[in-house]
Amino acid sequence: VRCQLCPPQHALQASAVLRRVSDEQKETFISSSQQQFSSHPTDHQSEQEPQGPRPSYTGQGGQESEDYESEEQLQHRILTAALEFVPEHGWTAEAIAEGAKTLGLSVAAAGMFHSDGSELILHFVSQCNTKLSELLEQEQKLVQLGEAEKKPTDQFLRDAVQARLRMLIPYIDKWPQALSILLLPHNIPSSLNLLTSMIDDIWHYAGDQSTDFNWYTRRAVLTGVYNTTELVMMQDSSPDFEDTWRFLENRVADAMSMGNTANQVQSTGEAVVQGLMGAAVTVSNAGTSRAVR
Amino acid sequence: VPAGGVSLRCCGTRVSLEGVNRPVIDRIIRVDHAGEYGANRIYAGQMAVLGRSSVGPLIQQMWNQEKDHLKKFDELMVAYRVRPTVLLPFWNVAGFVLGAASALLGKKGAMACTVAVEESISDHYNSQIRTLMEEDPEKYKELLQVIKQFRDDEREHHDIGLEHDAEGAPAYSVLKTAIQLGCKAAIFLSERI
Repeated sequence: VRCQLCPPQHALQASAVLRRVSDEQKETFISSSQQQFSSHPTDHQSEQEPQGPRPSYTGQGGQESEDYESEEQLQHRILTAALEFVPEHGWTAEAIAEGAKTLGLSVAAAGMFHSDGSELILHFVSQCNTKLSELLEQEQKLVQLGEAEKKPTDQFLRDAVQARLRMLIPYIDKWPQALSILLLPHNIPSSLNLLTSMIDDIWHYAGDQSTDFNWYTRRAVLTGVYNTTELVMMQDSSPDFEDTWRFLENRVADAMSMGNTANQVQSTGEAVVQGLMGAAVTVSNAGTSRAVR
Repeated sequence: VPAGGVSLRCCGTRVSLEGVNRPVIDRIIRVDHAGEYGANRIYAGQMAVLGRSSVGPLIQQMWNQEKDHLKKFDELMVAYRVRPTVLLPFWNVAGFVLGAASALLGKKGAMACTVAVEESISDHYNSQIRTLMEEDPEKYKELLQVIKQFRDDEREHHDIGLEHDAEGAPAYSVLKTAIQLGCKAAIFLSERI
């Protein structure tokens, strides 16, 4: 039985293909809420019968109980499965097709996505960012419960960036390709969005509470640190990327001292102004006292 | 990402970001923060010129209230994880210059500036209150309370300005219109940038 999905549609234009699994059909169909990959050929007939236009973005929370799978969820599953094939096929439609095959879908499922593998990369980045957030959230809980020491800022930033970059290691050979795809004009809004929210997350958990222009400076600096370290990592061949982590340590130290330098410049400036004011007052006093004499 | 509300956990504060209409709340907090910051700088400018005059203590008192407002919005900004407007350095200078310039027109000039700005701000707070009430009064109860309180404070400043003969300022209506136009532009920009 060949699964004929709707002709290749752009993800955004497709109306959601919802799979309603009724009780009688549960034996033949695999419920979408269970993450079991089945090679059962008959279980995807329902995808040929889109149940009329439905909103694509139903809340993901209560989905399992109603046995609905939105198109978005299906795409997520395919892309997650495709990641396994990236080291071999790169960030391409082939990897997506292989991923779809492991889910028991036809390779035509890859037609749901852009041919340049953009969605696969964006999905991966988004997944990594979520993992990082969860990691940082966990660490924060431990600190709040008193089970861990609060890290100094530079160490926190170093550890967070390292943790995030380590997620690239399994895909490191194909990552330069991914970076260049992310820089394509039609991908820049999404990739920039993902990058900025990740950096914002790191600063938030680092305890940044700035509400002035520092908010921007800090994020800009950390973005620079992250991007340069990522590039160094691409070309690093040292054991366990130790050169990269050393580079990271130096950049974070630079960033910290930049902050200190800015403070010093400001206080020096204030001291100079005060000195000048004092000199002006002295001169005017000397002038008036001479005039009085 | 579903547009209805992103699930975020906010660390260190009591505000839950579940189901919050991020775009709307972001704008509201960002522009209010910018507004209070600007108001602070306006009063600072006025104090620099009129600090030692008879209205000095009065301006100082109004300034202190604005400082409290700003502090509250600083907290809300961190709690809701809203980014501040990029234009803050600009409002820093522009606010101070406006305050100082209006004060150089005399005490009535300073009062006129206060009346114009506070009227703009309280109208603006009123429309935000309407927006939040339309959204979900229960969910945004704390924010609504804060904005209502601040709106009342600003109205009070407005009335104080009128009491101190703001309308006697040189070219009062021109001054008022010009300042309010500037406020509208500032609000428009700070919401977006």
